[in-house]
Amino acid sequence: MSDSIRTSLDERFSEEPRAWSAGSGAFAHYDLDSGIYDEMFRPDGWPRESSRLLGAALARASSEDLAALQDGVARRFLHEGITFTVLGRRELSEQIIPIDCVPRVLTAEEWDHIDRGLRQRLTALNLFLADIYNDGRSLRDGIVPEDLVLGCPQYRVEMRGVEVPHGAYVSICGTDVVRTADGFAVLEDNLRVPSGVSYMLACRTAMKQAFPLLYRAHGVREIARYPEHLYSTLASLGSWGSSPRVAVLTPGRYNSAYYEHAFLAGEMGATLCEGRDLVVHDAVLYVRTVSGLKRIDVVYRRIDDDFLDPVTFRADSVLGVPGLFGAYRAGNVVIANAPGTGVADDKAVYAFVPAIIRYFLDEEPILANVETHMCREPEGLAYTLEHIEELVVKEVGGSGGYGMLVGSQASAAERDEFVRRLRADPANYISQPVLPLSRAGCFVDGRLEPRHVDLRPFVLRGRDRIEIAPGGLCRVALRKGGLVVNSSQGGGCKDLWVLREREEPN
Amino acid sequence: MLARAAADFYWMGRYVERAEQTARLLDYQLTRLVDTPAEELARGWSILYDIFGLAPPGLASDADEAEAFLIADAYTLAGAVVEDETRPASLVSCWGQARDNATQLRPWLPVQVWTTLNRGFLWLRDTEFAAAWAVGPATLVCEARDRLRLFGGVVDATMSRDDAWRFMQLGCFVERLQQQAVLLGTWDRSGNVSGGSPSAWWAELLRICDAYDFYCRNRSMVVRRDSALMFLVRNPELPRSLRFAVHQIGELLADIDPQGARYPLAPPHRMALHLAASVEMSPRGGEGRGDDIGDTFSTLLADSLSLHELAMATYVDYPVEEGLPA
Repeated sequence: MSDSIRTSLDERFSEEPRAWSAGSGAFAHYDLDSGIYDEMFRPDGWPRESSRLLGAALARASSEDLAALQDGVARRFLHEGITFTVLGRRELSEQIIPIDCVPRVLTAEEWDHIDRGLRQRLTALNLFLADIYNDGRSLRDGIVPEDLVLGCPQYRVEMRGVEVPHGAYVSICGTDVVRTADGFAVLEDNLRVPSGVSYMLACRTAMKQAFPLLYRAHGVREIARYPEHLYSTLASLGSWGSSPRVAVLTPGRYNSAYYEHAFLAGEMGATLCEGRDLVVHDAVLYVRTVSGLKRIDVVYRRIDDDFLDPVTFRADSVLGVPGLFGAYRAGNVVIANAPGTGVADDKAVYAFVPAIIRYFLDEEPILANVETHMCREPEGLAYTLEHIEELVVKEVGGSGGYGMLVGSQASAAERDEFVRRLRADPANYISQPVLPLSRAGCFVDGRLEPRHVDLRPFVLRGRDRIEIAPGGLCRVALRKGGLVVNSSQGGGCKDLWVLREREEPN
Repeated sequence: MLARAAADFYWMGRYVERAEQTARLLDYQLTRLVDTPAEELARGWSILYDIFGLAPPGLASDADEAEAFLIADAYTLAGAVVEDETRPASLVSCWGQARDNATQLRPWLPVQVWTTLNRGFLWLRDTEFAAAWAVGPATLVCEARDRLRLFGGVVDATMSRDDAWRFMQLGCFVERLQQQAVLLGTWDRSGNVSGGSPSAWWAELLRICDAYDFYCRNRSMVVRRDSALMFLVRNPELPRSLRFAVHQIGELLADIDPQGARYPLAPPHRMALHLAASVEMSPRGGEGRGDDIGDTFSTLLADSLSLHELAMATYVDYPVEEGLPA
């Protein structure tokens, strides 16, 4: 993007905003749906207060200006290698994540609600994990069915009785939050190796360069300190001095999130390691350096439990470190997130999170859950089979948009296949209603149109405090009418602007 | 410095240097296309392919190689060196390998270094050689050289002089030492058989090594074999002399383990000192005779290969027991 385009775009934001509304002018193709919450417009077509300045600027911009801006951001991502890898498609191995140049705006009050809900949720989930790997009180009290937890593939018997530093089973969490006409709700918790935070930061950097004046005028809360907070969180988990040696454990450059692993390691000053770089000797973890072996104190692992340690978990893993779990159990190294946290983000256990919050915290959940039908139960299965066209069916252990069916958008053959799978192994599935995810303004194919969005804020839980970056990865289903926002499924992302204090911009 | 990262820095330095060498030799050959007789051009291609260790494209097993270079068109011969990913010395291959290494090094690389390398890679990947040839092949090679120089400048301006930089430079100079030894040896073996001026023949070699002007200022415009070769071997101020490369290697290895924490004198450093002595002492009989200089190039090449092995064994692939803290 040339400086002249950027300047002309940005300076327009300082002009007196004219009246603008959905369905007219630059927003001529922006159709509202009464059943879907729109992030930019009120139901009557007039702009929400928080989007007033942004929309006014967009209304004045030409589609050529916006296209140039979008191209500039995409080119920058390409040159800087801000990419992800699509699973199983080597010819498309490196792709830039599509960026929409129109930010989504949340008011301080809206964010405060999300923030409190996320703190509550992560606190309860950590207590739940500590319980199921120790006393099992919540299982005996019937809060969550015992067989559901103990039979979950992500439940690690090896973790029973392991002393987890400061009870921080989950130190890094990415919770998917959606908004419907009824308000915010949690779609799923990602408690194993949540990804996407690097794109959140990259989007913000790009938008600050694209809209410096508008950004300042809005009073947007900063997220740039996330890597610093991540390092502090990881460092706080050990009992070493002020500068423990932190390693980011990556499966390697062919992993879909490799850019993020490298980015975070670089930003934190941590060592980016693959399993082959690490060695355990006398239950102590070391990294191979040119000056010999150096001790590692904290591992921020970005590989799944199964592959962490071939001695303890999958014997055929070549990604992990033999003996790592032994070093962890001996208290000589911290692993974040702890092995076995996946049991709490299993899609079947998800349905019990409100009960978990009530049980452990004696509080009502601040963020709602999405109605979930458990196919392991006869009535849940019957309902799912009967209403499959209206439901989203998900594998309980699935992620990344894989292993799921959106009934209304699937072909008859695809639905039949899922019916067959449901009948064969009902406990492996849950179903949820097709949510009318809120829509935000996007610049697609040269026009401003609404697209469905979700939000993944990132929550950090250290020794004694929780940090949440005021923002998140805002994912967009770029295909018109599409509801799947995963980047691996053709989704994109956009910046999320959380405003300071009041929704009235400066 | 993570051992694997050190190896990646080392290899990145090698591949970038190899790309530079390829572009430089190609540049020399392509600029001669306009006014050089076919036989001489074919010989040029033959030397160039010999240096790269390549066979001419489409050469049948029973065909005469010299004739193959005479028959093959320049477009095919140049194309193979530019865009054939299967040839280790091709520009596309070198750039791609360097970028692969850089991808592993993102946390250690300044973003400007990565971006410059990546932009060069994307430019070359998206260049259609046929279209570039139509415009003029020298333009493509010139741009490649410019982008490589830019990369060198960005590295120089943005990278801290830590072990990352040292290993990258080490790779660069080990590669340069090997490439130059091969170039000088091949050139010397080929000799001046075209009937042209001997001085012009050796002047060409100096030009390829970006050393002609410097040579003229220090020696003479009349270039003799022994003098030119010794200049390219021993001159301490010439960046492409063997002595310069060996000196840099020794300095870098001395700084990688300055306290001698693991070794009083690390094996690769010991080999670097041996290489330095070889350059100082060769050719036997001193400057002016140069009878054994061909042997010197092959010895230096073998020793530099050993140095590479020693560096990997000492800093990257050492046994666990050797690396444990005392």
